[in-house]
Amino acid sequence: MKDTVHSMSTTPNTEAVHGNGEALPVEESPAKLKLRGWLNRHLKIKMTDGRVLTGAFLCTDRDANVILGSCSEFLSEEHTEARALGLVMVPGRHIVTIHLDA
Amino acid sequence: MTALARDLVENIHEKEMHFDQLTYNWVDITNDFFSSVQSLELGELLHDELFGLFEAMSAIEMMDPKMDAGMLCNRGNSKPYSFKQAVDSGALKLHNLTLAEVIGIIDSTYSCIVSWLEGHSLAQTVFTNLYLHQPGQILDKSLRTFCYAIYKIIEIIKDCINKAMVFEEEDFQSVTYGYRLQQDITEQKTIAMLKEVEEELHRKSRIKPVDDESNREYNDALALYARIRFTKMFYQTLSLMGRKEQLHQNLADCQRLLSNCSDMMQVMIKTVSRGVKADELCDHPNIMGFDPMVNQRLLPPTFPRYTKIKPRSEALEYIDELLNRLKTVSKITGYTSFHGALDFFLEFSRQSPCILSRSMLQIVYLPLTNRVFGTQSFGDVLRDAARAFIAPPALMPKITLLQNHQAKDYVDGFLGHCVCLFGSLVQLSGHNRARQRDKLAHLLEDFAALQDEAERVDSYLHTLSLKSDTPRPHLAYFGTWILYHTLRVMVMYLLSGFELELYSVHEYHYIFWYLYEFLYGWLMSAITRADSFLMEQDIHSETHKGRGAKKSAKNKKKKSTPRPYSLEILMYQAMQNICGGYYKALMGFRMDKKIPLPESHFDSERVRYEHRLLPFASLLTPPPVPYQEFLDMTSGQMLNRDETVTSEKQYLAGCGHFHQARNMLESALSLYPANVHTVNQINDLLKVSKTNFIVLKLLAGGHKKDSTEPPIFDFSCHQHFPLIKLA
Repeated sequence: MKDTVHSMSTTPNTEAVHGNGEALPVEESPAKLKLRGWLNRHLKIKMTDGRVLTGAFLCTDRDANVILGSCSEFLSEEHTEARALGLVMVPGRHIVTIHLDA
Repeated sequence: MTALARDLVENIHEKEMHFDQLTYNWVDITNDFFSSVQSLELGELLHDELFGLFEAMSAIEMMDPKMDAGMLCNRGNSKPYSFKQAVDSGALKLHNLTLAEVIGIIDSTYSCIVSWLEGHSLAQTVFTNLYLHQPGQILDKSLRTFCYAIYKIIEIIKDCINKAMVFEEEDFQSVTYGYRLQQDITEQKTIAMLKEVEEELHRKSRIKPVDDESNREYNDALALYARIRFTKMFYQTLSLMGRKEQLHQNLADCQRLLSNCSDMMQVMIKTVSRGVKADELCDHPNIMGFDPMVNQRLLPPTFPRYTKIKPRSEALEYIDELLNRLKTVSKITGYTSFHGALDFFLEFSRQSPCILSRSMLQIVYLPLTNRVFGTQSFGDVLRDAARAFIAPPALMPKITLLQNHQAKDYVDGFLGHCVCLFGSLVQLSGHNRARQRDKLAHLLEDFAALQDEAERVDSYLHTLSLKSDTPRPHLAYFGTWILYHTLRVMVMYLLSGFELELYSVHEYHYIFWYLYEFLYGWLMSAITRADSFLMEQDIHSETHKGRGAKKSAKNKKKKSTPRPYSLEILMYQAMQNICGGYYKALMGFRMDKKIPLPESHFDSERVRYEHRLLPFASLLTPPPVPYQEFLDMTSGQMLNRDETVTSEKQYLAGCGHFHQARNMLESALSLYPANVHTVNQINDLLKVSKTNFIVLKLLAGGHKKDSTEPPIFDFSCHQHFPLIKLA
């Protein structure tokens, strides 16, 4: 699997990979570079229903739909009891705040 | 116990969190993030090179109620209570419950059990009942006793299903999420407690009501009495049925208990409105003691389903039907011959029974491995089955073939393998219908091996027998027996595709062709051979006995009765003709362009054909028919005799097949089949044959000749053989 991904995007830092898997050589904008810099970092996302998710930032798109890996769920910001969720996709419309582990 | 376990988990999490909180340094990037994503194109994904769409597919979507089990926890403001919290806050009454409340709790608990039996998790169904978390704390005697009994009932059901091993993840969840089912109360004690409550309620019901108030209470008490009595007898039934000792006696008792259970269930169904809030409809029990959220946090992240608990009255109806199914199961003891029992299993499965009754049937028939009804050896039962089917000389009394050690070893070894294979066949019939098809395909590989062995044993015995003092051929005895079962499995496999709606209409013609041209033909020849071997055996034993006029008079009588397989042969002939009728009709439809075909670039009929018949490839007899042969045979039929084969001629030929099928079915009916299912089956097939006969006759007369409207295949009358309808 790793190999195929590698062969698909040979120079990942200068290419945007489209959803259909097509690799287009594009100049990366500063905003994109910023997003790319956050990849694999820990994010804390608060959702519209008050739950808080923390996990590794893996993927996003124009609608700010975010995929988090090894994600834990907390019922609220005060709650300390985590529930392991694994890989989750948070729809952008349900995101209230995003924090980055600096 | 469970509370303790959860505390422990909580503690661990807390420690983890303290550790985590020290390492995190959160910076708000909300606005930055939302403005940055604007730079992405529509549909563009920004992701790491190691993460692709493939990985993204398995992510669970948050805030989607179907995928996000945790979402429901935050709905509304009522925080789920634990048992203790609920009692302390006064939300949960432990004593002074009204009768209506207890009735409501009991009925809702049965709703939960039914939902559990339909494949939901125990934590989301039965254990949303807080009373079950700490039954010992309940002060109300009838409710406490009921809760203890429910623990017992759940435990027995779970054990039965686990033991029978005929469930898959879609049928049943056996995980208990840390709830300990074995309460430290014995079965006798539980029954005694239930009996005590039952008697108290019974005594109450003797005091006749004087006014409206006491009248209501009187009726509530009667309703509760029925529930407690039902619970007691239901528990006893399940416990007796699952026991492996004294099976026949137990099942006789079960029949009696089940009919009493049914009586009580009728009362319960009538009095369901006596429980509190019985008329409110919602997805979860809505009364005191039930909290659908209480276990939500115990669920794994991708919990597959949103649990909707069945309404009380529907659940009670379900249990009522379950009781009927269990009554049917207890009749299996009447089937001492293996072939009879196998037909019973297949017929039972045809009605798509629930997981509990399916499992019960398995453990009643084979409570111990290789012991039918816990007593007879399965090997002996199969030996009897082979003997009754085809009378292999080696298995007949007074034949000395098996005194040869080698021969005995071979036959015993063969029967040993039969035990495995037929054991799997019986177990297979306990699975749900969709899974059965998968398993049938695998079973055919084992049948191929067993066929080979049967032939080798036959030929060894044959050589041995010809050398003996009383030479008799011994060819194709075991082989035919196994072939017969192989063919039945093949037919089942092909037909199940109709039932599961797997085939497209443009595929029907080769499926029906295969059944018509090969499988039913082979089946008839196998069974006819068995019939003639049986006849030979009769003659053989007659000539060898031949003493006294009394015996020969008896034998004469025997001859006047029809041959043992005449009904079965007639049925196969009828079904062969029915399949022939469909095949011809479909060929006609294709010629008239009434069957929509897939786009030709994307289509390969060969691939489809080979895929549908793939499981048959492992068999030597009957040899698989390659696609080319199908083409040759079918195109040959079309060009035969005169050049112009018209669709009318195809319809007419199909018409003839359905006509013949009808004649055969009518003569089958005139044999007065003993089995009521056979009679029903014949009547259904008669309806199919008659209707299709008329439709094809119309088509042969040129009715709707120019319409390309596809015909409709209506499976409402028979699950495998449709009624052809013209739109």
